[in-house]
Order: sequence, then C-alpha cells, then structure tokens
Amino acid sequence: MATLHMLSHSPFSDSRLVSCLRLLGPGDGLLLTGDATYALQPGSAQLQALGLMPDTIALFALEEDLQARAIAAPPRVQVVDYPAFVELCATFAKVNSWL
Amino acid sequence: MAKSLLIICRQAPWSGPGAREALDIALAGGAFDLPIAMLFLDDGVFQLQPGQHAAPVQQKDLTANLQALPLFGVDALYSSVRSLEERGLLHQALSPATETLNDAALTALLGQYDQVITL
Amino acid sequence: MTHLIVADRSLALDKDGYLADLNDWSPAAAEALAAQEELTLSAEHWEVLHLLRAFYAEFQLSPATRPLIKYAALKLGADKGNSLHLNRLFKGTPAKLAAKLAGLPKPTNCL
Repeated sequence: MATLHMLSHSPFSDSRLVSCLRLLGPGDGLLLTGDATYALQPGSAQLQALGLMPDTIALFALEEDLQARAIAAPPRVQVVDYPAFVELCATFAKVNSWL
Repeated sequence: MAKSLLIICRQAPWSGPGAREALDIALAGGAFDLPIAMLFLDDGVFQLQPGQHAAPVQQKDLTANLQALPLFGVDALYSSVRSLEERGLLHQALSPATETLNDAALTALLGQYDQVITL
Repeated sequence: MTHLIVADRSLALDKDGYLADLNDWSPAAAEALAAQEELTLSAEHWEVLHLLRAFYAEFQLSPATRPLIKYAALKLGADKGNSLHLNRLFKGTPAKLAAKLAGLPKPTNCL
C-alpha cells in the first residue's frame, strides 16, 4: 500500500524530512509543500539527501510554493499545481500528512 | 469493516498541543472500537518516560492518560529503536510498554494500515 | 451555575450537573447527587463509584463506557465488569451517571 508523504515544514528548522526519508518504502511518494520546498535549495544537504532516494520513490513539489520562494525544481522533481495535487492524493492508497 | 489507523506521534509531551491531539484521536477512536495503533517517533518517545509530572507546567496529565490506552482498546503501541537510542531511552523501562521497531520494520508497519496521520 | 447543598455547604455544579470542583466530592455529595437522579446508592453502586475514583486517580480522565467496563472486569471480575450489570445500576448510562456521582468530570469521547 503505497503512501504519499506530505511535508510542509522547513527542513532547516525541523526533523520531519529526515524522519520521513527513513520511513519511505518502494512506491511511496514525497510531496513538498509550503516551507518544505526549501529542501530543494541548491547546495543544501537536504537537496543532497533527496537526491539519494531510490528511483522507486517519486518526488513532487507544489508549483505555487516553489514560485513564491523562487526555488527552481531539479529535474527529478515533478512539479504539480493544485488540481494535480488533488489528483496525486487520489493516486496513492493513502496520504500521510506530517502535521 | 472499519478502516485501520496508525497515529504517528512525534511531539514531546509538554511542548505544545501535538501530543495531546494525537492521544485524543487515539482515545476517541478506541472508545468507538476502531482499529487504532500508535507509533512513538522522534521526540514523541519522550512521552513514554516514567515519572513525569503535569502539575508543575499546569497541563492535563498526558502521561497518566497514555496509560489508559490499552483500556480504550488501543493495544498496538510501537516505538522507534532509533528515536529511543538517540535519546538514551532504549534500555530504560518505559510506560506504557511498546514494541520497538527498527527503520525497516517501521516502513513495513506503515504499509499495514489503511490510514496514517503524523502529529 | 447551579448549586447543590450538602451539609450546609453550597457546591457548584457545571451545566451538565457535574461537580465543578473535583475536591468538593464527599460520600454525602454523592448521596445528594444520586438523590437528584432519584437513585438510592447501594453497596454495589459504591463499589463502582470507588472504582471510578481509582480510575481517575490512576489515569486522570473519566472513562467512556468501554474502558469503564474493561476496568471493572479487571478489578472486580467479569460478573461485575459487564454492560448489563453497570447499565442496571446506573440507569443505562453508566459512564456518564457514575462519573457524575463519583465527582469526576463528564467523560469525553463518550458514546
């Protein structure tokens, strides 16, 4: 049962991303929203950690939040707008929000 | 058949509403006989430390409430070996007792539940 | 806020008729609360009230029906820890009514 993990907190002030990366299984997805998109900041250890995820794990980021923060998504990231975000949630068996 | 729910609890007991909210979900679900499990992860494992006191910080006694989980039908309690080890709690007597799982087992655990929420 | 007069003392009740201050409880208060519910407390009632107070002392919360039954079965045995026995004693709503008479807050998460 694949899970879409949804993060919204900055990985620079909080351990959610690190903990989440350890729990990801094959087929799971990771969606970055809000300040969690800072994980894609070039040159950061967080971006490096995301790059080390196996290819079986899909990585998504919310377009609006990237734009607002002037963050460019690396090729691995699938950028989604709100309609695609909703669709994405329905694609996975469940969504785990890291509140 | 009711959907099963895994509540991942990663907040320390007295720092904010997160730990209380997670417990309230568990108690409410348990009272309605829903299949509920709790996983204590990251700072959430601090909730399991015995001998804590709510009165000095003027809060409801979360750690006392936690002991009631089995009576509310929430028997499936887990904790992360890594989180416990990082915090020096791995070889301590904790309460309520939980099944300790390594990272791989945690990933498998998530797969077993219909729904997961992390607080 | 309504009040209950017990032994010349006026005890504050909340909107649901539960004691506003848990420390106001006494056996006499329990008798007075029971009288309001048109209930006379027998030894069997008292057994459950003491059980509830022990539950609260241990867990700092009022049990919903299921945990109350489970706890009663654990402490008093299966012949008393069942819904039939508890419903008979407390007019069909043991968690709410027994908590009230035991001086506990109204149970949350109650069916």
